[in-house]
Amino acid sequence: MAFKKIFTEHIDKKNCHTLAFYKKQGGYKQAAKALKKWKPDDLIEEVKASNLRGRGGAGFPTGVKWGFVPKQTDKPKYLVVNADESEPGTFKDRVIMEKCPHLLLEGIVICCKAVGIETAYIYIRGEFVFATQRLQQAVDEAYKAGILGDDSLGSGLKIDVTVHRGAGAYICGEETGMLTSLEGDRGQPKLKPPFPAVEGVFGCPTVVNNVETLANLPYILEIGAKEYTKIGPENSPGPKLFCVSGHVENPGTFELPMGVSLRTLIDKHAGGVWKGRKLKAVIPGGSSAHVLTADECDVAMDIESLAAAGTMLGSAGVIVMDDTTCMVDALLNVMRFYHHESCGQCTPCREGTGWLEKIVHRIAHGEGRRDDLDLIVDVCDRMVGKTICALADAAAFPAESIVKKFKDDFVAAIENGGSPAWKKRHSSTVGGAASHA
Amino acid sequence: MPDEKTSVTRWQLNGQEVENPTGMTIMEAAKEHGVEIPCFCYHPGLSIAGNCRICMVESNRSPKPIISCSERIAEGLEIETESDLAVDARNSVMEFQLINHPLDCPVCDKAGECVLQDHSYTHGPDRSRFVEDKNIRHTKELGPTISIWGNRCIVCTRCVRFCDEISGTSELCVVERGDRSVVDVFPGIPIDNAMAGNTVDICPVGALISDDFKFEARVWNMDRRDSVCGGCARGCNIEVETLDGYVKRLMPRENLDVNDWWMCDHGRYGWRHLYSEQRLSTARNARQDLDDREATTEMIQLLSESDKVGFLIDPFLTCEELHLVNSIASSLPGSIVGGWLPPDGDEENFPGGFTISAAKHPNRNGAEQIFGSKVFANDAKRLLTALSKGTISTMVTFHGGPSQDGPGKKWIDAAGKADTHIAFSVMEGDWLNNASLVLPATAPLEKEGTWINEDDRLQRARSCWKPDQHPFSTELVRLQEYQISTETRNRSLSATGIFRELAQNSDAFSGHTHSELGSAGLPLSSPPATVGTEGNS
Amino acid sequence: MENTLSFSPKTKKQYKWLLTRYPTRKAALLPTLRLAEEEFGVLGIPEMRFVADLMEIPPAFVFGVVTFYTHYRRAGTGTYHIQVCSTLSCALRGSEEVVQRITERIGIKPGETSECGHFSLSKVECLGSCDTAPMLQCNDDYHEDLSLEDVDQLIEQLRAEAAQEGN
Repeated sequence: MAFKKIFTEHIDKKNCHTLAFYKKQGGYKQAAKALKKWKPDDLIEEVKASNLRGRGGAGFPTGVKWGFVPKQTDKPKYLVVNADESEPGTFKDRVIMEKCPHLLLEGIVICCKAVGIETAYIYIRGEFVFATQRLQQAVDEAYKAGILGDDSLGSGLKIDVTVHRGAGAYICGEETGMLTSLEGDRGQPKLKPPFPAVEGVFGCPTVVNNVETLANLPYILEIGAKEYTKIGPENSPGPKLFCVSGHVENPGTFELPMGVSLRTLIDKHAGGVWKGRKLKAVIPGGSSAHVLTADECDVAMDIESLAAAGTMLGSAGVIVMDDTTCMVDALLNVMRFYHHESCGQCTPCREGTGWLEKIVHRIAHGEGRRDDLDLIVDVCDRMVGKTICALADAAAFPAESIVKKFKDDFVAAIENGGSPAWKKRHSSTVGGAASHA
Repeated sequence: MPDEKTSVTRWQLNGQEVENPTGMTIMEAAKEHGVEIPCFCYHPGLSIAGNCRICMVESNRSPKPIISCSERIAEGLEIETESDLAVDARNSVMEFQLINHPLDCPVCDKAGECVLQDHSYTHGPDRSRFVEDKNIRHTKELGPTISIWGNRCIVCTRCVRFCDEISGTSELCVVERGDRSVVDVFPGIPIDNAMAGNTVDICPVGALISDDFKFEARVWNMDRRDSVCGGCARGCNIEVETLDGYVKRLMPRENLDVNDWWMCDHGRYGWRHLYSEQRLSTARNARQDLDDREATTEMIQLLSESDKVGFLIDPFLTCEELHLVNSIASSLPGSIVGGWLPPDGDEENFPGGFTISAAKHPNRNGAEQIFGSKVFANDAKRLLTALSKGTISTMVTFHGGPSQDGPGKKWIDAAGKADTHIAFSVMEGDWLNNASLVLPATAPLEKEGTWINEDDRLQRARSCWKPDQHPFSTELVRLQEYQISTETRNRSLSATGIFRELAQNSDAFSGHTHSELGSAGLPLSSPPATVGTEGNS
Repeated sequence: MENTLSFSPKTKKQYKWLLTRYPTRKAALLPTLRLAEEEFGVLGIPEMRFVADLMEIPPAFVFGVVTFYTHYRRAGTGTYHIQVCSTLSCALRGSEEVVQRITERIGIKPGETSECGHFSLSKVECLGSCDTAPMLQCNDDYHEDLSLEDVDQLIEQLRAEAAQEGN
């Protein structure tokens, strides 16, 4: 079967975001089938059989996650859609929400039926004003058309969807941080156990799924789980949105089968490294992933292959750096981000992210010491796996790997009085260089 | 579901097979086996936050270390608290806690009782690898009694949880995020509740500071005594901390049957009157000041000259003092004992279950046990009537409270009708002007003896005075001196001895002893302890 | 503290609708803060107090929430709040130069508001538009694939708009 684009096929067409357009492409047929013909358990089994893995970063099997939700409960169950796309280098969910929001809504309807949910929240990051408008428009259309509401598509089932805007906090993209935030609190991740499937938002069983994950569901029902597993590697299959940014000629979102080669993605789809320069480094799965050197880029972009290569698919946000990039400056940028975004709850993350930024800042600004490289690695070791959520890990992985794999850049900055960019700025405008970062 | 209270979970702690009641957290269970796991954010009286991470241990069920304050024991669970993984996790947290900490222990009031300092000695690095500038956070007043030294704050959120869950006043919050986060109040809304002082006690570092105690003493120089607060009928268990015999600070002591881990600010700061200029410390008669010996002699003389004595007791007196009054009254035919009660204040109830009693005195129940339930009612009326008829020749009044108003106008007028008025009082006051003999009295915190709280719990109060510190003779001593002079007693006893006497003579107190009460007290109705277990205390 | 603030009838209606969307009142706090910010232009102390009283949530809790998130404007900003994304993908493609250009053209550094009150400049973290780096957000709108000339043009355009508003 030829690869079919399910997200991006029509994004250049006028009004592709409207209900009318979506319906013309066969939209909501699968939702109607799910509501009227499928039994909830069969839906869960089908999604399990499809091997659909979460597209938010952790790659957890979606059907298995649904299966954790208790069948017998007197509490309401909730679906919280993770649309807080905030991993640096990632901009795929935004495409879905701006260009084909009904695909997401159809996925939501299918999930609600499978798990027995009546209320869904789409937690969208506050910065996405336009995407929020598009999504709200789509929700309004769907209510008007009887797709959402008290009698979803005439099935007698109630499905309510509320678009909920975040307010500027990366940590709210973390599953439980998002739930705390949705409850109206500071977006600090919750202790697990209890897991959200049992005790999530408002103390009730909750499914948290990423936008792209849910948007896969209509297609899985359309072609069947068996066919779906043939798209890319069998145990993490499917069409996938890859984001490529940084030093490439043609940055953008590319829809390809899971398992496409990273090299092909960069060279062919993203037009190769810009300005005719050479590749130096790639972060393959959002800035939280371990960095790859140019030599390590012949790797398939799927969950297992990247794990085997010592990194992760994460959010599939590929950040490309050319050979003029000083990795000290690049790391300083990433460390500033995590320091800024740590919620401050757990000691290792609250203190570690700030410390890492300070050390790298010193190196970049000509005050580095030889011991600093070992210190960075050691601080990273002391952060990883010791916190409620994975933000500490997310800061430590790039730090540890960039320092180890691009040691020369760091040694040079330490021995030559700072990173090249800083030295240049410092010599041209003394005093001006102390600006942010 | 199995009954969690009765079922037992078998698990392994540091290679040893152990058992604990099902449902316990690893930290609580380990403690029962003598393994103390360090903590900052955990507090038994508050919800679990799990944010400090110092309590991480190694588990056979997880590749990563787990926190023992929130995870529970389970069949087959194997926990290591001293493995490389556990020790490394702990040491990591300690290093992180200290990098931005100012290490200003020499000027910090918490030094000496600081959890961070203690854990730092055991688990912290001996030198810092952090060479950068430390983060700066605000130092400011949070309320009339509490300030925050933000640089010391480790954002454990104990204080915030306390105000949300226990006092229910929610004045505190954490503001900002990451390593900028720090405890604060809403601008213009200070932390000002009757339980606020507890936030300072539970702060594991010196971030929350009590303005009352700031720079008053180094904690290691103070003496400590387990006692009971006399501020209301709740009888919160407290620790009285003194420097050279002078109270510097009161701290609540854990007692789940009385006050949990808390005390109220009325009690906490309610000791300043002990050292006020209005404190009565010297005895006097109508003509002149008397030294301690002269005062006792005069008291004995006045009492022995009287035939009909009225005793006006108050609910600050200990059971021991009341017993002596009772014995003396019984030996004087025609004497009457009545009691007076200070006016009630407000009862205050908090969401966390803590209660401040409306009765602002500690021992009404003790007095009613000893003199009967009518002592503050009909007996008092009888005494009043006798006074107005002129059938009482000598009045002995007691006033152990902090007020300067005396026992109220009707009692002051009535006492004036007796030929002689002997007044025991903690504070000076106009009502003493016409007394024949004024004797300084001990206040709660200075008394040795027992009180019975509003739940009929018998608890032992201890004196803040050092053994060699006697500003004046206590009521306990003076009353016994009188008994010795009348040969109704051979020798003077300690409060413990008097209590033994009381227990022998009263069904209600029968079987109880001071030593059996320990520092936590017992319900008055609890079964008597085995005879002969009493030590000398 | 006497609070004289109140929601307009339209905002009141929106607030009432919000309350119907969540099982707890507290869950409506974040969107209600947005409403308050839109209504009053800023979320200072009186505005936070107003929301706390309206929703019967402890003011300190509201304070903690407002300061946790970066969007809420605790102090006034200029008519145009220019937020330049400075995270890695944008940094790799020249976000620092964009910031410098704005600083040169308007005369304010990140964190500052121009004297005329028209412009505020901030460096912010990832805005999720890495494929169109460098980019900035001006109030609600994204401006993407910026060249330095685009930056000049944008500023001129904003200045013209501001002048017109002023008349």
